[in-house]
Amino acid sequence: MLAEHVPVPQGPADALAAVAALRRLADQLEDAAVEQAMRAGWSWPEVAEGLGVTRQAVHKKHAKRLIAAGVTLRRRQ
Amino acid sequence: MSAIDHYINDIIVRGAAEAREEGSAATEAHHLLLAIAAVEGTAAYRVLTAAGLGRQAIRDALDREFEHSLDAVGVSLASYDLPKPFRDPKDHPEPGASARLALERGFAAAKGKKDLRPAHLLLGVLSAGVGTVPRALALAGVDRAGLMDRVEETLAHESW
Repeated sequence: MLAEHVPVPQGPADALAAVAALRRLADQLEDAAVEQAMRAGWSWPEVAEGLGVTRQAVHKKHAKRLIAAGVTLRRRQ
Repeated sequence: MSAIDHYINDIIVRGAAEAREEGSAATEAHHLLLAIAAVEGTAAYRVLTAAGLGRQAIRDALDREFEHSLDAVGVSLASYDLPKPFRDPKDHPEPGASARLALERGFAAAKGKKDLRPAHLLLGVLSAGVGTVPRALALAGVDRAGLMDRVEETLAHESW
């Protein structure tokens, strides 16, 4: 959630660390959101479109983990 | 394999497990630090624990650094409540840029392979002046330079 007034990082170290932390948070959100969508029966093309990436990219990044998690995946369309 | 080869392998494997648990695609320097703090029987472990930096204390410091860095751009970690994603135990995140740099610095701190010990690896991780590890230690009130001095002192007196 973004605060009403987005603070500006104080210096390069804070700004660079914020970028690294945002990337990490984005990765964590993506893992959780893709898993949530696939458990809810979304297809790969739907998830890919939701993320704004190709179907191949989302499949390559998440399929192995979700299969290991026992998620029933819809066939690629 | 020599004892140090086994140790390095152990640290990389444990570091990868820390990275996987965190959902990181790569093993980074802070994951190696967590691993070093989890393997008992080394001077590196003793220096860390004597400074109050057991594995859990380091994990807490890293979590604070994450929250602090997000807070700098107005993002509150507490606002997110998504379910914890499944982590594949077969997934082994490879060493990333910061971990490779830490290992290289650790190797460079030793006088050759025969001299290389766990404390050199810790020195390699601690010697980064920029990045997650120094920021987490600073936020935890740890004197990184003083810690490095103590690691170097043990290298002069302890064989492992």
